[in-house]
Amino acid sequence: MNPSLPIDRRTFAASAGLGASSIALRSLLAAEHGDTESAPHHTPTARSVIFLFMSGGPSQVDTFDPKPELSKLVGQDVPASLAQNVPRIKRAGLKNLLGSPWEFRKQGQSGIEISNLLPQIGQQADSLCIIRSMTHRNPVHGPGECVALTGTSIGDRPSLGSWSLYGLGSETDQLPSFIAMNLHTDGMQFPQAAGWSPGFLPSRYQGTLVDANEGILDARMPANVSSQQRAKELQVIQAMNNRMFASSRLSELEARIRNYETAFRMQTSAPELFQLNRETTRIHSLYGIQDKDTREVGRACLLARRMVQRGVRFIQIRVGGWDAHGNLKGNHEKLAARTDAPIAALLTDLKQTGLLDETLVVWGGEFGRTPTMEGRAGGRDHSPSAYTVWLAGGGVQGGQTIGTTDPIGYTVVERPVKPLDLHATILHAIGINADKLIFDHHGLQENPLGVTGGNLVREAFLPG
Amino acid sequence: MQPSPMPSPMPSPMVTSPCHLTLPQHSLHSPRSAGQNQAALIHLKRKARLYWSLVHPIILQLISNRFFPDALPELSATLLMRSCRWLCQILLLPVLPLWMQAWIVGGLLADELSSGPWTRNGLATERFTITGTGGRNNPLRKPLDPAFAGDEIFIRFNLRYAAKSLDSPPATSGEFFVLWLDELEGNDGSGHAANIPNVGIHVQGNQNRFMARYNSSNQKFGEVLQGDRDYLILGRLWKSTSGHDQPFDQLSLWVDPQSDEELTPDVSLQSGKSISKVNWIGFSTGAKTEIDDRIDVWEVRTADSWNTILDLPDEPTDPNYAPEMLRPPSKKTISFREHIQPLLKKHCFECHAGKDAEEGVRLDVVDEVLQQISPLQHQKSHLYQLVATGKMPPEASLPPQELQLIARWIDEGLDWDTDSLPHPVPVSDHWAFHPIERPTIPVVKHAAWVVNPIDAFIAAQHENVGLVANPMADRQTLNRRLSLGLHGIPPRTEDMGELLKIDGLLSNPAYGQRWARYWLDIARWAESNGHQHNRDRLHAWRYRDWVIDAFNQGIPFDRFLREQIAGDEISPSSPQNMIATGFLAAARYSGNELDKRIQRNDILIDITNTTASAFLGLTLECAQCHSHKFDPLSIRDYYRFQGFFISGQPQNLVLGKSESAHELAQERWILFNQVQQRLVRVRRKQGYPEPILITPENVVAQMRPDERTAFGRLESQLAKLDQTWGFYSPSSASAEPVVAPHKMRWQLPHAPEVLGKLKAAILIRGDLQARGPEVTSGWPRIFGEVDEASKTRLQLAHWLTHPEHPLTARVWVNRLWQWHFGRGLVETSSDFGTQGTSPSHPKLLDFLASELIDHAWNTRHIQRMILESATYRMSSEYSAANAKLDPDNRLLWRWKPRRLESEAIRDSVLAVSGQLDHSSGGPSALHDSYRRSIYLKQKRDNLPSQQVLFDSANGIISCARRRVSTSPLQPLWLMNSDLIQIAAKQFAERAGSVESAIQIAFHRQATEPELQQLQELADQFGLASACLAIMNSSEFLYIP
Repeated sequence: MNPSLPIDRRTFAASAGLGASSIALRSLLAAEHGDTESAPHHTPTARSVIFLFMSGGPSQVDTFDPKPELSKLVGQDVPASLAQNVPRIKRAGLKNLLGSPWEFRKQGQSGIEISNLLPQIGQQADSLCIIRSMTHRNPVHGPGECVALTGTSIGDRPSLGSWSLYGLGSETDQLPSFIAMNLHTDGMQFPQAAGWSPGFLPSRYQGTLVDANEGILDARMPANVSSQQRAKELQVIQAMNNRMFASSRLSELEARIRNYETAFRMQTSAPELFQLNRETTRIHSLYGIQDKDTREVGRACLLARRMVQRGVRFIQIRVGGWDAHGNLKGNHEKLAARTDAPIAALLTDLKQTGLLDETLVVWGGEFGRTPTMEGRAGGRDHSPSAYTVWLAGGGVQGGQTIGTTDPIGYTVVERPVKPLDLHATILHAIGINADKLIFDHHGLQENPLGVTGGNLVREAFLPG
Repeated sequence: MQPSPMPSPMPSPMVTSPCHLTLPQHSLHSPRSAGQNQAALIHLKRKARLYWSLVHPIILQLISNRFFPDALPELSATLLMRSCRWLCQILLLPVLPLWMQAWIVGGLLADELSSGPWTRNGLATERFTITGTGGRNNPLRKPLDPAFAGDEIFIRFNLRYAAKSLDSPPATSGEFFVLWLDELEGNDGSGHAANIPNVGIHVQGNQNRFMARYNSSNQKFGEVLQGDRDYLILGRLWKSTSGHDQPFDQLSLWVDPQSDEELTPDVSLQSGKSISKVNWIGFSTGAKTEIDDRIDVWEVRTADSWNTILDLPDEPTDPNYAPEMLRPPSKKTISFREHIQPLLKKHCFECHAGKDAEEGVRLDVVDEVLQQISPLQHQKSHLYQLVATGKMPPEASLPPQELQLIARWIDEGLDWDTDSLPHPVPVSDHWAFHPIERPTIPVVKHAAWVVNPIDAFIAAQHENVGLVANPMADRQTLNRRLSLGLHGIPPRTEDMGELLKIDGLLSNPAYGQRWARYWLDIARWAESNGHQHNRDRLHAWRYRDWVIDAFNQGIPFDRFLREQIAGDEISPSSPQNMIATGFLAAARYSGNELDKRIQRNDILIDITNTTASAFLGLTLECAQCHSHKFDPLSIRDYYRFQGFFISGQPQNLVLGKSESAHELAQERWILFNQVQQRLVRVRRKQGYPEPILITPENVVAQMRPDERTAFGRLESQLAKLDQTWGFYSPSSASAEPVVAPHKMRWQLPHAPEVLGKLKAAILIRGDLQARGPEVTSGWPRIFGEVDEASKTRLQLAHWLTHPEHPLTARVWVNRLWQWHFGRGLVETSSDFGTQGTSPSHPKLLDFLASELIDHAWNTRHIQRMILESATYRMSSEYSAANAKLDPDNRLLWRWKPRRLESEAIRDSVLAVSGQLDHSSGGPSALHDSYRRSIYLKQKRDNLPSQQVLFDSANGIISCARRRVSTSPLQPLWLMNSDLIQIAAKQFAERAGSVESAIQIAFHRQATEPELQQLQELADQFGLASACLAIMNSSEFLYIP
């Protein structure tokens, strides 16, 4: 605890006539650490999660799922034998197959083939566990994003980050434990608030939306307020609140009092988090912070590393714009220019700081894209039937691929993985057995996997 | 029958070789001369114009797509490239030396000369130029292969008559030119027999007119032919009596038909002596057609339907089914009673019937059988697979003929006989389904504490467990409680003297401005479509104002309910009724969903679930995929309930009754649809895959200038009309309101003929593709027999507000209780099912429900009783003895302070700092406005951040009760945000002293310790610092 704090909670509690055995206090502390006592349910392989959410739907056959057959069938219809497996949804065009403009090359010792669209991430192949068999059925961005981040399309259930926080509580009381950053939100794919919402969980589990350039909303004291003034203000606020708590004995009011202490600390620690000038120029150039293309994603990735170092549990970086309906080549090249170097830098940096072992990095969008051309302008439509997500670090076995798709990358033929399976896997990494993480929602025993359930992708992890 | 393309032109001297509309002319001469280069230049300029006409709309499309990148243009890149090349060359050509011009043009010609057969798409048109001979001639004819003897054939051609060759009768005898349909080919010079139908041009009186005829005594004329104008001539030949041998006795003609003119031809005539089969079609010229007449015809073809001949999209025959979905056959061969029931009885019922069926699988209930099959697909059906593989029945496999019966039974749609095997009647002894009974008011010992019957019920419970109720709170506290509770802002300082009057509080507009928000939470109301496009619903605010007014006017709850779920059926001409349907229309949907069936299904699910939870207090959504696991609600109940809403749609509706508005809207839709259809036709010809969808922006962008001007005028006139975002069902509304457009990517279907065809059906496992048996509208069976006539939402409303309904009144009084006390008598206020909590005071709940019904659903009557009760007026004092018996205060031995909602926090801050803008109503305000929070823009996913920070509803699903969570970001907002910092200064300026600030904020005198501490702050850092501290205090933020 910060020694400069005007009020020590224990002293304060004592002055309010509360012993350590106070029922209210105990229940509060229990609540703060999740209503299930038992998490972690097993030894975690990761302490933090960085979810790099590629919104709009990156094309799997142009990034991580090589399909040499596709280039042979350019301009043709989807062969009948494959077409019969494609779900009959409006977006799923079956005419005019479109070859990938990029070449796939074997990368690293593992020899995994990754397209030269993402050369720098490609160099990290030996750290990546690439799931090529992600699949669901919702071909529309908004609902699809909800599926990817909450498990269902409605957007009313808790986000994955909220569940993580609910299960494990906070590791830091200096910063919010679930931070979301939305980058490049131009265009029509507005971020879905469900992605960082607590759903039916109490709102203290919601992700804090942070502008990577501005920092946490209202965390900075106004320029004309000195820390001496703020300390004194806090002292008076706490005294008033203490009097009300003493007379009413509402546990909620005690939580408010503790909140002010945390908030006070955040006024210092949150701005500090965003002071990137404390990083070396080498780090700045590694993340591409000086370059126009990479500046935004680079900044967010570096912030993510700093957040991991400061005990933030779940960091979600949403990069919009992958929605390549026309001009696939131009679109994906632009997005690759924005993301390839910073994401590779994040992996490199986490590795060199030893943090990758305890940080699970996840990359993927709400769905993939059709192997066929949409209309006539050289783009691809949405396709949730098969797409790619990769994991790195946090106990994951790198240099492997999981699942296979058909010869044109349209549907999954082996080891289908649904978004909820991925959620179960991510939660597993941080020590949560999703089936055991229960929240009593008006009498309904809810867990992160909902009614349909999900299964952990066990082979993603290192043996033992 | 497919439209038959014309064969390549027959060698006839009167038909010049085809020239091509968009392809360059053949030239087989060589070498090139300067004259040819000159000709090539002219040719290039012509091409430039042509390309411009093609490229221009694409550029427009590009521009419009810049703002809607999701709809990247489906343009042909090569076309664009080629156009650029042409344009560059044309622009450069005149300034280049002659030899270079010759070289470029020569190169271009060489390019084209080296080509083989044309590759042609729908945009290149074969065109024939026909001249006369001064006698009978048949210059162009072709056989129909196969010959046509069906009931109806359409034939069309485009026509252009050169003006300078056009004679004016009678001076120069006029013109003749027809297209005939005959059994025989004839030869070049032969005429056609009488009663051979033909359409074309002939002389009538002093004019050349379009004509349809069987013979010269049986002909009719249409409009006058004008020269140098492109016409589309359309004929329809049909048989009034169906049959191969019957004559084509009906002939109609349209000149330049519109898509909706199928039933109104320009000319119609009959002849019983006509041919019964068409083998040949062809054009005839006659004595009036001179050698220098020039008649161009193109796009000559036949088709078997109006839509095909005009390249219109096929009409959705049945909007309940996607094109790829199986449909039940119209002819059924399997009778359940005759073929299936005996079979099930023999092999299955021993184990799989009745309540204790094995594995819980019942085959004697149709809704349970449905869960075991895939509709219309026996191969995919679990039940069939089990039987076919011999796994069931366990002792002996079914003989093949019985297996075949089961297969056909599934494929034909699962016929059932509910007389012999009815849907089971659900039974439940759950308290909430029992009738409401007015309880007797208990007699209690602590009678002095009792103010009204509410207190008697509360005190009785106290006495049961030994609780001692708190005394009444002091006046200042009560005034704060009443003001914060009813108005969401602290009382005015001038009201410090006496206890606030309830009637005065309820008649203050601030009451509705606070209480409407509770209902808006339930109604998951917001002002945008939601999901990623999230377009604004510009007129949705009217519903917010309607709810505020409903509270402020104290309208009875039965009317409140009725207008919200059936306003359009009561009276579409009443603006208030239409606005009220904003409750249903608040459903969220994805504007980007291409599959309209999915989009509509999402809306229906939202409306069904919200209506059931708001008024019935039931989690009906659990029965969407399977019968409810806990409550007596079946999947059939779910889809029957959904049936009430099936043909309705959220729309922008013009308020009031206005003939001109109707015409305006109609004109707008017709113009829009016309252009859209035209664009669809072009794209279809270009080979775009179906379905061809064009965004509204693109439709507008590609309008012709005159169309765009007209459209812009219509749009701006429509925009001036008062509208609301409401719900309207063309099949049940008592009159037709005017539907105005709503800006979104893909229009929601609004045509009455489409919506009217929609029928509710059980969707097995909730899957839209797995459409099971159709159902009629109705309420859950647990509430008794459903009257088969109960189809409308108005009937649903009447049923819900029937005095004997067990839930509606209970649910509503419980909500009122919750909004006053912070927790309902039933804590799960939107779940009165078996999984909900049971009432803490069941008799009190029934007493209040009876009071509501007996006082004509007067909400204020209940509120007054609550507000006057001793229960409401207790102090919040803590009592260790009581807390030991009832730590959660479930039995209400004290007033439990609770945090203000986000809106009331902000409003209170603005109120004490003297900044609150009290103006009421109207379109929503920007988030930095100082109006009351209820008027801030409620865009989904973009709600005011302070609102979200303090646990607001999300506007996505119905929120029965807000949580109160504490997060460190809340103090950060309360200390550092601009709003608070400014408010602190304003508050300080207004108060002038710490004592006064405390009076304004807390409505009481300052106490010694707080005065001292706050004064220290004020002395050291200014009064604003003390004011900031006050606004951060729990006392300021809680209802005491």
